[in-house]
Amino acid sequence: MASNCCCRAVADLSAASPKAICGLLLSVCLVVAGRADEPAPSFFRGLNLNGPPVVIDGNAWEGRDSKHYVCNDRAFENQAVPLVPSTDQERAKMLRSSRWGGNRIELTGLPNGTITVFLHAWEDNNPETYSVSINGREVLRRHNSGQAGHWDKLGPWFVEVANSQIVLTSQGGAANFSGIEIWRGRHEGEEPPIAPDDLVFFENRIRPLLVKHCYECHSAEAKELQGELLLDSKSAARRGGATGAAVVPGDLEHSLLITAVRYKTDAMQMPPDGKLSDAEIADLERWIKIGAPDPRIKATKFAGKQIDVATARQFWSLRPLTNPAVPEVKYATWPRSDIDRFIVAKLEEHGLRPADEADKRTLIRRATHDLTGLPPMPEEVEAFIADESPQAFETVVNRLLASPRYGERWGRHWLDVVRYADTAGDNSDYPIPQMHRYRDWVIAAFNRDLPYDEFVRDQLAGDLRGGKTDDERHERIIATGYIANARRFGSRVDDYPQHLTIEDTLDNVGRCFLGLTLSCARCHDHKFDPITTRDYYGLYGIFHSTRYPWPGIELEKRQRDFVPLVPPSELVHFQKIVESRKQEQARLDGEVNRLREARRKAPEDQKKGLADQLKQAEEVAAELRKTPPPFETAYAVAEATTIEDVPVQLKGDPTRPGDLVPRRFLSVLGGAELSANSHSSGREQLAEWILDAENPLPARVMVNRIWQHHFGRGLVPTPNDFGKQGKPPVHPELLDHLATAFRNGGWSIKAMHRQIMLSRTYQQSASRDPEAVAKDPANEWLAGQSRRRLDAESIRDTMLCLSGNLDLSPAGPHPFPPEHTWDFTQHQAFKAVYDSRHRSVYLMTQRIQRHPYLAIFDGADPSTSTPARATSTTPLQALYLLNNPFVHEQSRLVASRIVAHGSQDDARLQYAAQLLFARPAADVELSTAHNFLAKARSLLLAADTPADQIEAEMWQAYVRSLFRLNEFVYLD
Amino acid sequence: MNPHPQIHRRAILRSLAGGSLLMPGILSELLADGTPAVTQTDPLAPRPPHAPARANRVIFVFSNGGVSHMDTFDHKPELFKADGKKTGSGGGLSNEQRVLLKPGWAFKPGGRCGTLVSDLFPHLRECMDDIAVIRSLNGNDNEHYNATLGMHTGSFFFARPSIGSWVSYGLGTVNSNLPSFIALAPQMPYAGTQIFNNDFLPAYHQGVRVIGGAEPIANLERRSKQRGLQELELGLADVLNNRHLSTRVADTDLSARIRSFETAFHMQADAPEAFDVGRESDDTLSLYGLKRGQSEGFGWQCLVARRLAECGVRFIELVDGSSRVNWDQHGDMAEHAGHAKRIDQPLAGLLRDLKARGMLDDTLVVWTTEFGRTPGVDGAKGRGHHSACFSSWLAGAGVKGGTVHGATDDLGATVAENGVHVHDFHATILHLLGLDHTRLTYRHAGRDYRLTDVHGHVVQDILT
Repeated sequence: MASNCCCRAVADLSAASPKAICGLLLSVCLVVAGRADEPAPSFFRGLNLNGPPVVIDGNAWEGRDSKHYVCNDRAFENQAVPLVPSTDQERAKMLRSSRWGGNRIELTGLPNGTITVFLHAWEDNNPETYSVSINGREVLRRHNSGQAGHWDKLGPWFVEVANSQIVLTSQGGAANFSGIEIWRGRHEGEEPPIAPDDLVFFENRIRPLLVKHCYECHSAEAKELQGELLLDSKSAARRGGATGAAVVPGDLEHSLLITAVRYKTDAMQMPPDGKLSDAEIADLERWIKIGAPDPRIKATKFAGKQIDVATARQFWSLRPLTNPAVPEVKYATWPRSDIDRFIVAKLEEHGLRPADEADKRTLIRRATHDLTGLPPMPEEVEAFIADESPQAFETVVNRLLASPRYGERWGRHWLDVVRYADTAGDNSDYPIPQMHRYRDWVIAAFNRDLPYDEFVRDQLAGDLRGGKTDDERHERIIATGYIANARRFGSRVDDYPQHLTIEDTLDNVGRCFLGLTLSCARCHDHKFDPITTRDYYGLYGIFHSTRYPWPGIELEKRQRDFVPLVPPSELVHFQKIVESRKQEQARLDGEVNRLREARRKAPEDQKKGLADQLKQAEEVAAELRKTPPPFETAYAVAEATTIEDVPVQLKGDPTRPGDLVPRRFLSVLGGAELSANSHSSGREQLAEWILDAENPLPARVMVNRIWQHHFGRGLVPTPNDFGKQGKPPVHPELLDHLATAFRNGGWSIKAMHRQIMLSRTYQQSASRDPEAVAKDPANEWLAGQSRRRLDAESIRDTMLCLSGNLDLSPAGPHPFPPEHTWDFTQHQAFKAVYDSRHRSVYLMTQRIQRHPYLAIFDGADPSTSTPARATSTTPLQALYLLNNPFVHEQSRLVASRIVAHGSQDDARLQYAAQLLFARPAADVELSTAHNFLAKARSLLLAADTPADQIEAEMWQAYVRSLFRLNEFVYLD
Repeated sequence: MNPHPQIHRRAILRSLAGGSLLMPGILSELLADGTPAVTQTDPLAPRPPHAPARANRVIFVFSNGGVSHMDTFDHKPELFKADGKKTGSGGGLSNEQRVLLKPGWAFKPGGRCGTLVSDLFPHLRECMDDIAVIRSLNGNDNEHYNATLGMHTGSFFFARPSIGSWVSYGLGTVNSNLPSFIALAPQMPYAGTQIFNNDFLPAYHQGVRVIGGAEPIANLERRSKQRGLQELELGLADVLNNRHLSTRVADTDLSARIRSFETAFHMQADAPEAFDVGRESDDTLSLYGLKRGQSEGFGWQCLVARRLAECGVRFIELVDGSSRVNWDQHGDMAEHAGHAKRIDQPLAGLLRDLKARGMLDDTLVVWTTEFGRTPGVDGAKGRGHHSACFSSWLAGAGVKGGTVHGATDDLGATVAENGVHVHDFHATILHLLGLDHTRLTYRHAGRDYRLTDVHGHVVQDILT
């Protein structure tokens, strides 16, 4: 079947007919502040850009000589072209004289506050397609200028003026700008009254026709709105639906209403149940031709999908968190904990029994890898074997939880989910040298068992939380690297697609903390889960009101808006330093330019002297540029300068705003809104809404992740999707039991590890009964542990650890090139692989270039959240283990360790088995190994290997073989 | 016809035979008892297409930088006339009105069909009877990075699986001793490795990048000093792995991993052989414009593509140029000549060679680029990026040679008829492979993904 959801990049919209995306009254709000009690709009100024002063709609306009604008465009006039639709003489005079080429108009002497802008534009010959921006923000996308003579009054566009001026520009095809009309306040763009005859025609012929044939699917009363098109008000019809404007006055060609009723194109035939009569079609055509007079001025809107919260919350993941009764089981001697009782009860339902207990060696290998991502050392294994107390395993678990290696392992699991990367992901993939602070914060948070609720608050709003000490404040700022870490896109600055970065943020917030796929609601109400587009933009406003740091991009290559890690009292002081440095740099650069110019113009005999001066000045300027600022910074967020709600973006297109949505939480989870007097982005509140006692999701989602990394599979097998497209839990009661314990136990992650690992369920052998394997191939009921392959990091770290080559000192920042040298473009994107002996969590990870090793072994995808690692098996992995120099080097080091362990082969073989498999070698293995060593020795002899190297080389070959074994990369 | 049938026949037979072909002698020396037989599951085993396939494999040629359509495959007489007299879309990103620039090369008819091709491609022009040109291709973005990503994945902003990965996923491969999807990319294209990445598809569908030279695939070169020692190591691993397996209830993950070492072992031998064009005759080398001993350049890429096709590789991508040196002529269109010279004869040679060997009947050859160029000038004598319309071509299996599909307006600025969006282009390629683009789906993150998203129509007019 076809893909059942149409999430798509907004760029796809331009694949639609460009002609379709224009609208006479496409209103774009640049201002979305409160609108209550606004005074009525009043006419402020009209500008006839290439003509004399005129009077239009009773208002006096200034002519081309006005002092209130600056425009260097060329002038053009052709008063002979008949206008469509026709209009009064004064307006026609204004329209048919225009400016073009360059298309930049600076409007000055404006009143500060809210103004409304209308732009009159016309076409003198062939249709052109262009976009219009005000102050660099696009207000109209891909407007089609129509056939010769067609004109439009574009707008209204609401602008908040701060410094008495705005700049209006266009991009794309040649636009003819005729006049600009400015109103104080918000003017909704009414037109002159309708002539009585036209009104009668509309009421008698058009309105009944629309009501009868169109309203069922295209009005506010429609059960389900089709094509996002409303035909029950003037503004809605002109704005149009998903494919463009339904009504373009005077323009049959571009009025999709006419296209549809004519039944000429297969793609658009309306009404769907049969073509209208010829007379009806002729009426509609006439209506458009005379300018589509329409008295239905009250704008309509479709309320959108309403969520029935009570019904929606019947879905398993949204039901209130419960503390289910622990079941009675028949096999009552087996359970050691409540977890075991839930598990055995399910097994008994299916006539199965749990597996035997894993032997101690298997168990400690499993536990050590689970908690630290490293193998147990032989002495740790022996200590555990020797400890016969009932608390022996608990002792091991506590020791492992206290190890700094624990945070490196579990921090990595979190970094998978938050799609951590050390680069930005724009087309040039700019490096972010400060990003490692967030990585280190995550690792430290796991190590100190930061309660999960605090962990969530810090990442979403740490910058707003303050702290008792500077260190605490700084750590919380660094934690918001979670948000800063959202992906960057493209190469450009002025039309940077911030909506994609916000989408990436929301997508991750949804999956990460709530197990919900929010981004489906960007373009349309979620098809499966109770999330509406309004929910999405309610959250969007929060991140729209958040300032993201700028990591650098092709067309603006330097960092900005990073957060200084300085005490608040000194912030102003440091900002002054930055500012004065900026001025000093500008002065020095100016000096360089001045000297360069002087040298160019200078007579020959003075050139040498000036060249020397220039060289000196260049050095001074470069020196300052190289000097880092006197404080550290974090790749973190802050409150934006403008805190505001945003409108819905129709079809996910930021240039097609719908209704304004207050910043708020998902309606199905309570729909809490910010208080009326809130002047913050709302991130702090968002964290509280997420963690609210009534919200069952965060506890369920997080305990499921913890469970997942102890059993290879979550109780919910889709850890990032607790919605209808995900898979429900096999053990819903156990999930709630754990989630309740997690919440009530102060959100302690380490306590959750203990609870899980001390159960008999966890300590089962991975050898399941064949009947259990047959009945439950995926091992959902857990009649035994699951066999798990080590992940990419564990394989590499284990080899490094066994070879004694693992560097456990703090890894710190990556050796990126210094910022002042950055010149990355999409042609020469940043790309690097840094060698390291540190644990793999510290490898430099690029957003858009996979690390060559991690890519081979199913490492996390740094461009999107990775809820669970794949475990593919490919010949490229085998080739890596056969031939990669890293593997050969670690084999060499491990072999020398083994050889140093004793002089007897058997002792060495035993030691090798202890190191790699945490067990002694079996007799049959010893004899195979003896055969191997003998054969290897003769091969090496035959190849004239120097005698003193033969022993080392045959043991290296032996270790290489062991590194390739399933037993080495799988945990039982 | 095939002077080297042994390459692929042996490789494919070996791949299909299954079971342990690894060094039986060594195993018996290490073991007293026999090795237990193991059932293998091969995730790349051939899968039947949705409908009978016309093409069994694809050679996908991608020219980096944006090849001008009006200077190559889309003759615009009006543009010659309007040179310097009128304005049209121009500037770096096609968003300005600039003076029109006439094409720099004359057009002549090629083949019996008479399709007009400019003097940039004299060799390909002679092959036009085998080629269907699409003149109305169009995409969504005027940036290299995004357009390149879109042409490969159907997605212009977000990383998604490459078309080669989709084909591998849909059809598997007949020779699992070689990757199913190989990208011959001596230099990195725009958007880097993403363009041959499997993304959310399983990792065996990842395009394996081949640079050329001594080690065409990462870690391919045997590092153990002697072949015998490596065989011995693998023999030991085989014995121990099978013993490990025999004490556990059947686990296909474990057995698949055992098998993967065998494949890797054979790849070390087979892959370099597949890349070794020294085994070709002088006549064949000259067909591609290659000198004996040459193991780089676009001619080498084309000839290796044919050899890989013979070995049963499902999807072979040739990356022409790089993100740094390519067809992106903003300043002077005359530089197109050097790029065309680099690929013209090798591409024509590839078509002729495939045809002579009977392989063009079931091999689809595609040539494309990320976008065309503007009719209006950019820089002094160059053209800007233009995704609104551009030209590409297909040849071989199931393609109606000698045809032209779609048209642009008089200046080559917009599509005038039969527009073919990148999604349609992808749908058509999949169709020729017997794959229905609406049914080739993969469930990821809660929904079924497609190469063509929710779009795509097969271009029936160019099919036989």
